[in-house]
Amino acid sequence: MNMWKIGVRSIGRNRRRTFVTTTAMAFGGAVMIFYAALLAGFKDTMERNALLMEMGELQVHAEGYRRDPDLYKRIAQPEQMVSKLEGLGLKAAPRLFGTGLAAAGASSAGVQIRGVSVAKERQVTGLHNHLMLGAWLDPSDPSGVVLGKKLARTLNVKLSEEVVVVSQAADGSMANELFRVRGILNAVGDRLDRGGFFITEGAFRALLVVPEGAHEIAAVRVDRNMNLANVTEAATGVALGLETKSWRQLNPVMAQMMDTSLVAQAFMLFITYLAVAMVVLNATLMSVFERIREFGVMKALGVSPFGIAQVVFFEVMAQGVIAMCGAVAAGWSISKYFEVYGIDLSSLSSGASLMGVAFDPIWYTRVTTEGVVLPALSLLLVVLLAAIYPGAKAAVIAPAEAMHHI
Amino acid sequence: MGALIFVGAGAMSTGIAAEPGQVADYLNEIDDMWRGKSSKATVSMNVKTAHYSRSMKMRVWSKGKEKSLIRIDRPLKEKGTATLKSKDNIYTYLPKTDRTVRLSSGMMMGSWMGSHFTNDDLVKESRMLDDFTAHEIARRTVQGREVIDIQLTPKEDAAVVWGKIVTTFDTELRVPVKHVYYDEDGEVVRTMTFSGLKKVEGKLRPMKLRVVPADAPAEYTEFIYEKISFDEDIADSFFSLGRLKRR
Repeated sequence: MNMWKIGVRSIGRNRRRTFVTTTAMAFGGAVMIFYAALLAGFKDTMERNALLMEMGELQVHAEGYRRDPDLYKRIAQPEQMVSKLEGLGLKAAPRLFGTGLAAAGASSAGVQIRGVSVAKERQVTGLHNHLMLGAWLDPSDPSGVVLGKKLARTLNVKLSEEVVVVSQAADGSMANELFRVRGILNAVGDRLDRGGFFITEGAFRALLVVPEGAHEIAAVRVDRNMNLANVTEAATGVALGLETKSWRQLNPVMAQMMDTSLVAQAFMLFITYLAVAMVVLNATLMSVFERIREFGVMKALGVSPFGIAQVVFFEVMAQGVIAMCGAVAAGWSISKYFEVYGIDLSSLSSGASLMGVAFDPIWYTRVTTEGVVLPALSLLLVVLLAAIYPGAKAAVIAPAEAMHHI
Repeated sequence: MGALIFVGAGAMSTGIAAEPGQVADYLNEIDDMWRGKSSKATVSMNVKTAHYSRSMKMRVWSKGKEKSLIRIDRPLKEKGTATLKSKDNIYTYLPKTDRTVRLSSGMMMGSWMGSHFTNDDLVKESRMLDDFTAHEIARRTVQGREVIDIQLTPKEDAAVVWGKIVTTFDTELRVPVKHVYYDEDGEVVRTMTFSGLKKVEGKLRPMKLRVVPADAPAEYTEFIYEKISFDEDIADSFFSLGRLKRR
């Protein structure tokens, strides 16, 4: 007897029920695929804004700088250090930091003055491509400054307007200089948005009387498949007497959040698919009870309990496969659509931030292979699990008893 | 500047008061004396830190407790830099960029001119008894003279960054000996000592004060009055933004 044929044929018996059940399954699957794409997109933004705009993937500091940043705790020979890191398959950029007060007109604000090594920095971070207005720094324009988004608003300055910055130079003197706004960055994160005052390395050294050294070296892997932990260890080996940390060590909260996004996904998957399983269980059970007499006859004709269960399984499986295809088609295309056009959240919030990392008001999804395959396969698995009980129920039917039913 | 108050903790004694109001009298003496109606001084400041040493010369004008103006004369690089304190605001004029900047509240704990004084020291120039409750904690004899230790605890609503201040006052010479500043955890933050007693306008006053931060005992800022005169006739308009730029 061909159990597969019987199973599939039963699908057509109650078309409306089959349609509703399959749609429910497909809907659940599609939602999960879309959810995975949303999470992947979220992680991308997080990574891009936190790592590729600011932190890099690993950082080197003078011992104690991170605990208590101060103008004098510098990496002695940053150029050497940068080339050593480059030898390890990293791209690295030295950075200089100081604090000061920026003022324009009647407004003033505390700022973090950041001395940027323009040529190196663009290999490490994408800040030069992240401008809202104007242009990124250029070593040939030492009086140019690029400001964080909120800082520009606080100071109420527009492009090419003047900003004066006041600070204490390394020799104790009063550092002050006029800069001209060259560019204004898009949102990156709270710290840079509120206090980012980017000037060229040369301008920084002249302003704060810091002839040598750097406060930080930020680096990223050239090849993203290199193991970050191994690279960090290798970097620690060449950066003797300095403190080397990967972004996971620098921002453990974010690292943990990235790691647990898989858990979040599994949790959502569990809840959604539990509901789907209920629907499937209910529908299949009904379908089995409707056909008690039929199963009784089959059994009387010598079909084994296993054969009966098979019929039920095949019936559910056929629906499951159809639902899975539907889920992939729908989930994939919705995700793909928002991968291109994004979900505009600007009406809900403008420039939201999470843990100091800025989020664009437009949320882009990202379709990944595992983001499609995982929800799809688990859908099929869940559906089959839901068929166990009705299948077993059908299998244990006593023929004589069953044939009483009409 | 804040230093003025402390330097001013001088001898304006009219005899030793023996009543319970004594502690308050000492503090009032400190507050009143350097403020007078107004003052004018030439000051040199020496700063030594782990990273740099610098010497500056400046002129200081003050009027009442709310107005003061400091103009840097040396080093040449900073000549003309001026700080105006008017009520709770501090403005700095920067000749290099020809700009006047008002310090934001976030800068208040920052160093003033690379010294161990904070900008906050400049602003906080209200009377000690307005911001603190005072009580005597000890009377001792130091080098044959009686001194009194007075503990100043900030009042609840006072905008004071210190946990407490312990002032040692020489009750015979009527001059302050030192101030010890504590943070809110009761740790010493800095110590200010007074020396170089000199009679100016009939009163004995310390001409030199030295601040040493507790976490870097090798560092210090010295504030030395080279010339000082009181009750000069200075117009209110002298302490205005418009005048800040003028030499």
